[in-house]
Amino acid sequence: MLGLAKGLKYTLKNLTRKKFTYEYPNEPLPLPDRFRGIQKFYPEKCIVCNQCAAICPTDCIQLTGKKHPDPTKKGKIIDTYDINFEICILCDLCTEVCPTEAIVMTNNFELAEYSRDILFKNLEWLDENDENIREVNKA
Amino acid sequence: MIRTEEMLLNVGPQHPSTHGVFRLVVKIDGEIITEAKPVIGYLHRGTEKLAEDLQYTQIIPYTDRMDYLSAMTNNYVLCHAVETMMGIKIPDRAEYLRVLTMELGRVASHLVWWGTFLLDIGATSPFLFAFREREMIINLLNELSGARLTFNYMRVGGVKWDAPEGWIEKVREFVPYMREQLKGYHELVTGNEIFMNRVKGVGKYTKEDALNYSLSGVNLRCTGVKWDLRKDEPYSIYDRFDFDVPTRQNGDAWTRYQCRMEEIEQSLKIIEQAVEQFPAEGDILAKVPKIIKAPKGEAYVRIESPRGEIGCYIASDGKKEPYRLKFRRPSFYNLQILPKLLKGENMANLIVVLGAIDIVLGEVDG
Repeated sequence: MLGLAKGLKYTLKNLTRKKFTYEYPNEPLPLPDRFRGIQKFYPEKCIVCNQCAAICPTDCIQLTGKKHPDPTKKGKIIDTYDINFEICILCDLCTEVCPTEAIVMTNNFELAEYSRDILFKNLEWLDENDENIREVNKA
Repeated sequence: MIRTEEMLLNVGPQHPSTHGVFRLVVKIDGEIITEAKPVIGYLHRGTEKLAEDLQYTQIIPYTDRMDYLSAMTNNYVLCHAVETMMGIKIPDRAEYLRVLTMELGRVASHLVWWGTFLLDIGATSPFLFAFREREMIINLLNELSGARLTFNYMRVGGVKWDAPEGWIEKVREFVPYMREQLKGYHELVTGNEIFMNRVKGVGKYTKEDALNYSLSGVNLRCTGVKWDLRKDEPYSIYDRFDFDVPTRQNGDAWTRYQCRMEEIEQSLKIIEQAVEQFPAEGDILAKVPKIIKAPKGEAYVRIESPRGEIGCYIASDGKKEPYRLKFRRPSFYNLQILPKLLKGENMANLIVVLGAIDIVLGEVDG
């Protein structure tokens, strides 16, 4: 019976200590800067090098480019950019390879939706996703 | 007329004590199990086959999802295999970060086991205490890698991120705190008479059985075999630390409990030393080519994960994807002894026997 009583003492001791739980979802969850959430995309920075689509382990990024409207400038600009969040695993590899930091992570992680179609995010949506953007993107 | 009949009982696939999707078909004669047949594969994703079409860096996030309670060791085993093939020397600072994260992961993993094992056999509060401390470790790793479970932290040649400012200090402070909490855990559970009666002598097997079933980790060490790859085949920088390998002789659920609790202490000891020796500066990534190509040939490496010996075999034909990748997943091997242990066992002990093995279904199914 001694072991039982000792255990009970420990439980009683813990009754008075401060709470460890978070108030989420009533209060936002504190997250570190490095946290990997839904990506933010800067269309003006993108040079259509295709590296993010190539490194993606789940092939969830699809992009197309078009010729630069200004004929004096070389290279391409982005036309469409889609991420399928049904299969994106937020592994951070796309932001790691991006040479211009056109795609970066944010701290937003709430991806629960009523329809699968909503999880298919396009260029405009990813451009407007500009809350809690990660400050340091490269080690 | 009264007659007795053998009953077929389906445990799972969605049974809370399996902590995943695992089905067990048991034949019971009254209260006694006469036969148990595990049915696995509900979480099979074909990691090894998928890896054949992926570059080495792309495989790392997939390894996170095998043993999701200690993803750092899985990250490491893959990177270690590729590094062995390419003959890369890892910078010291990266090695220390790797050891710190792996050992923190080991503590977190054992805490989950401790909490859920006791929850399975009817004690609710240990679960809450264990998850309180585990949350601290998860927060530390989150701060470092940017994810709570699927870290994707290690890279071939080093690690992705350097330790943020003050992180090492936080780890240093965590060690004495965790030691203090461990004392509380022992106070709460270890001497408890009800708990002792549930686990002592349950799920017992001999040293020969353990070796024949190729069990590893605590499941092997609880029978008296002192085999820990961190000691016996030191990888990374484990030869720089002073720690013991806890063993017991009896081979029952109680000894497995004791070994795991002591392993937490030993891991804390390693973390403490690693924090002390942590180099003030240095690279975190060795010089590696942008596209990683393992040279033609094959390699097999093995390391000590919280669940046992995790191995990675790579056969490469010199391309950027492996020709064949194979993981030796300790949970899968450790689970194979279950039908033998359950035969003739009381039905009420099924959960204790299964829980004490400590399996992670993501790893069993691969």
